[in-house]
Amino acid sequence: MRQTKFMACGLLAAGVLLAYSGGAWAEASDKVWPLVKEAFFAGKTIEESPLIRLEGPRRAESGAQVPITLTVDKSLSDADAIKKIYIIVDANPIPLAATYYFTAATGKPQLSTRIRMETDSYIHAIGETADGKLYMTAIAIRAAGGCGGTVDGNDAEIRAVAGKIKMNVESPVKFGDATAATFIIRHPMRTGLQRDLVSQGYVPAFYIQKAVFTYNNKPVMNVDFGVGTSEDPYLRFNFVPEGPGALEVKADDNEGKSFTKQLEVNG
Amino acid sequence: MIKTLISLFALILFAGSALATPLAIEQAGPGIYVHHGVLEDLAEGYHGDICNVSFIVGSKGIAVIDTGGSFNTGQQLHEAIRKISPLPILYVINTHVHPDHIFGNAAFVQDKPAFVGHARLADAMERHRETYMRINQTWLGDGFAGSEIIKPTQVVQDSLELDLGDRKLQLTAYPAAHTNTDVTVLDSKTSTLWTGDLLFVERTPSIDGDIKGWIDVISKLKTVPAMQAVPGHGPVVKAWQTALDNEQRYLSILLNDIRASIKKGEVMESAMGTAAASEKDKWALFSIINRRNVNTVYPALEWE
Repeated sequence: MRQTKFMACGLLAAGVLLAYSGGAWAEASDKVWPLVKEAFFAGKTIEESPLIRLEGPRRAESGAQVPITLTVDKSLSDADAIKKIYIIVDANPIPLAATYYFTAATGKPQLSTRIRMETDSYIHAIGETADGKLYMTAIAIRAAGGCGGTVDGNDAEIRAVAGKIKMNVESPVKFGDATAATFIIRHPMRTGLQRDLVSQGYVPAFYIQKAVFTYNNKPVMNVDFGVGTSEDPYLRFNFVPEGPGALEVKADDNEGKSFTKQLEVNG
Repeated sequence: MIKTLISLFALILFAGSALATPLAIEQAGPGIYVHHGVLEDLAEGYHGDICNVSFIVGSKGIAVIDTGGSFNTGQQLHEAIRKISPLPILYVINTHVHPDHIFGNAAFVQDKPAFVGHARLADAMERHRETYMRINQTWLGDGFAGSEIIKPTQVVQDSLELDLGDRKLQLTAYPAAHTNTDVTVLDSKTSTLWTGDLLFVERTPSIDGDIKGWIDVISKLKTVPAMQAVPGHGPVVKAWQTALDNEQRYLSILLNDIRASIKKGEVMESAMGTAAASEKDKWALFSIINRRNVNTVYPALEWE
């Protein structure tokens, strides 16, 4: 399964190159999206929707840490709620940066994160309802060099601190209302595309692939991370705590390690 | 066929070098020559000539300090050197890994100098190779032709002395500061200090290493017995201590403002618009470079 997924990415990268070779350079290309769409949503219809909004810089200051904010102007308690959002960076070698799965406790989704961008690209946010209907929005961001290149530092030291979590809830908390939580987990998020100077090959992918957030043991949000999410994955997201309790997260890396953190929320 | 191609290529190279316009040069002391790059961002609208490139002429030969952002700029520097001295080019020193300082190296390969840099420079060049080649090709187009990564053949671990005959050069390597490959050069004859990008004058300092390390290194630099300094960008300064003070002030304000923002639980995007705002009118290209600095430094400081 994983094999197929990565092959699809390889093919996609070839297609991206092809789409780029026409023009001299620059500006996010809208020729890439049809290829990406076929790879992820073959044969499906995706409707543009004003309910999904993406914000980000017009030109990224750093391709390694591009801040974006997603809002969905529809509550998860609605019958036709958007349950799931894919964040796709069209021109990245591995385009799927993250998938977010919402629950009733998410309220109206609003979340900020930081992503990697290898070059100028459209970012697509694709929303999916419970019955599989697809909606989307897209923004163009100019950027350079966030995916390959540097793997620096001492591997043992990096691994020793990997998985450390910081979590915070903005106070004062109003129970029953949207509350902003911040989550950061220390991790190199190695893409598998970075050069290994010793072996002359590539450093294997090493990344946080999943985070599960619960409040008083009830699901709040699940995230599938890809390596398009920046080093030290950062999330700031809204959720609705019904009363005092504990916000918990469990994060898993692709090597089978799990990391947890619990935060008391007392109004 | 291959022979024809090679001779054609040689012809193009020859024609190129014969046509290269020598860079404009300022003499900053006996045997010291500096070319000042133009004030452009390292991005769109960049033409490969934004940093200071210098050469020092001794009785035995010449040392070049940084070579510009393309083979073309390196060739123009080479032409400028040959208008002043026919002596052999013994050393080509790179003050750090950044592409605006290293891509002219290729224009000096024919002189068979020792290429000199920080002990970590070769690795850093290799790590950045793919990205640097691709984005500089994008920015410079045909103007990037012939540019390649040329790694150091002689490294500076802590310090290194180079002999130009009637003058000696003292090279010093630093821990992570502006980058993790910073080297300075002190000329014994004129007490001139080449800081590389450890010192920016007028242009907003840009951070690609360790902001705290850089603030510390500035304190060390202030103790160097120099009469004047050639920064990585900007004019040669006699009041170089004041220039270092200015830079240290900017970096300290930036560091404090980012720390305060993290403590308040703000999002990085808001700090990108507000951090170090009091320095806005004191530096060139501030709105572009300061935002980039915040974007680079902020995620690392979240783990203090």
